[in-house]
Amino acid sequence: MSQSLRPYLTAVRHSLQAALNLSNFSSQVVERHNRPEVEVPNASAELLLQPMHISRNEHEQVLIEPSVNSVRVSIKVKQADEIEQILVHKFTRFLEQRAESFYVLRRVAIPGFSISFLITNMHTETMNTEKLVDFIIEFMEEVDKEISEMKLFLNARARFVAEAYLGEFVY
Amino acid sequence: MLYLQPQNLLVQKTLTEALEANARGTPLILDRIISDFDYTTLHISNSPEEKALLWISIKTKAWLSISKCGPDLVGYLNTKYDDLAGVSTCQPEGGYDYTLQVDLKALQNDAVVQLSLLKVMTMSYPFQLAFNEFASLAQLPEGSNTTETVHKIEYRDDENVFIKPSNDRITVIFETFFQDETDKVFGKVFLQEFVDSRKRNRAIQSAPQVLFSHEPPLEISKLVSSRVSEKSRRFITFVLFPRHFQTPELQFSSICHLALFRNYFHYHIKCSKAYMHSRMRYRVDTFIKVLNRAKLDENEDGSEETTRRTVTGRKMVY
Amino acid sequence: MEDWRRIDIDAFDPESGRLTEEDLKPPYATQVGLQELQPKISQLRSAATSGDFASAVQLATSDPPYNSDDATKLQYFSAVLEVLTQVRQAEIINIVKQLSPKQQEVLIKYLYKGMSLPEGQKQGGILLSWFEKVTQVSGVGPIVRYLSDRNTV
Repeated sequence: MSQSLRPYLTAVRHSLQAALNLSNFSSQVVERHNRPEVEVPNASAELLLQPMHISRNEHEQVLIEPSVNSVRVSIKVKQADEIEQILVHKFTRFLEQRAESFYVLRRVAIPGFSISFLITNMHTETMNTEKLVDFIIEFMEEVDKEISEMKLFLNARARFVAEAYLGEFVY
Repeated sequence: MLYLQPQNLLVQKTLTEALEANARGTPLILDRIISDFDYTTLHISNSPEEKALLWISIKTKAWLSISKCGPDLVGYLNTKYDDLAGVSTCQPEGGYDYTLQVDLKALQNDAVVQLSLLKVMTMSYPFQLAFNEFASLAQLPEGSNTTETVHKIEYRDDENVFIKPSNDRITVIFETFFQDETDKVFGKVFLQEFVDSRKRNRAIQSAPQVLFSHEPPLEISKLVSSRVSEKSRRFITFVLFPRHFQTPELQFSSICHLALFRNYFHYHIKCSKAYMHSRMRYRVDTFIKVLNRAKLDENEDGSEETTRRTVTGRKMVY
Repeated sequence: MEDWRRIDIDAFDPESGRLTEEDLKPPYATQVGLQELQPKISQLRSAATSGDFASAVQLATSDPPYNSDDATKLQYFSAVLEVLTQVRQAEIINIVKQLSPKQQEVLIKYLYKGMSLPEGQKQGGILLSWFEKVTQVSGVGPIVRYLSDRNTV
């Protein structure tokens, strides 16, 4: 693990541990509704807590928006060039289309970020919070690795294909 | 599968089947429309009078522009196919550009491959013209041996091939453009590798030089300048030297590969996408595994309830 | 015309009991302006230039300008960021240990603020190592208190 990645991930881990402290909370506005308060517009401000920004640099950031019964975690994945941009876009879209099997994944990322998670008190009640944090951390590690591997693969394949094609012209 | 084959496999298969069925004395009744790359359609059908006679017709988008390149495209194709036993030319079928009549009784097995190359043969005409022009230009003395001729094949809606002969080389320029944003980026990676691989790998030093640009190259700038230069247009130039077309066999092999260039690298872009897709699928599975580890074991949670039973041993339901 | 079904009528009702961001701000006795803060900023700078980072950080994290407008806070923040980025990696842990819990809390606030602004994001690595040291010394406590504290820096 590179030198600056470790503090980044531990910072995210600690912030998530602090934020994932949720309780069941019925809507104050609508009877018999129970909704994630971070997602509700014009909700009462006392239900939202201070948002936390964790950034490794301009391109790699995490935004954690806690509230009384839900936490929204948004991740900005490193996108150094055009290829990585496309790959990140494809990959996150692929994940978002399978959001129902991920429980905590939000179908649409919030603007400016690559992918968002929405963790509600229902999730923390049926899942182990520590392991949930582990999942987010592992996700962040793996996505970076996956993107760079896919990029390497693309280059390797392009090289092989080009050499094979031009090799046909060697007489 | 790394390479695409120049012949049309479906045509080959259909003809082989027809040939075998005819040999058994039960000729097939055929009326097949077969598609090929770049808006090309082939039609194989029985002649109305005689079952053992097949008509093979081709219709391709490039036909019009190819026939403008030289004086006699039909004549050129006729010379290619007249030598084969059992193959004769006839009037083009309605809606098609060119039709061959095949007599299954006389057709040889070797000729089937030649017939399934019909599309490449059509595409080869301007290349052949360029080879001939090169030969005559190379004979001429220094100073008068240049030509303005550029053959243009309009083989897709917005994509063209330009072939320019000169006295020491033949330049083949592909004008291509990508509709999809992803294809554009992937295509850029692939095309860049076509340019670089020759420099890097000594084994393929003698391959044609490949250049890649966003602006139309000088050779064809006159032909395309009239159109608005779009951002997504790309130009790929292959420079063929005499060693690539010394003998008719080499000429044909070069033509086959060049005619399939666009298909080849689009095919590999698709393959990369497919690979990435399966890779992402796998990655999603591993992520779900990690997430499922976080789930609380339900038995552990509700163990107290499950052990609740009545005196008679029945499960308590409430 | 705007879709009247979507108009949030509660927002216009003073009796609705809904709290806004402004309502949650603790009542401050006085408003600190840039003039009053200027001496402290220059004091910070001089402590940093003389190499006495321990007292510079101490000074920065005690009694921060909660009750100022955003521009003043930003001025003060950039001075704090300057101090934080000048400290050598090895010294961070010792400086953090010398801070009181209250001061650590303020430090966490500045770290989060720093990472949300482009100026601080450029120094992301340094802020993250500060953050790591604070959590090493006192765990997630300061973070939890940051979450619920309505005093913003």
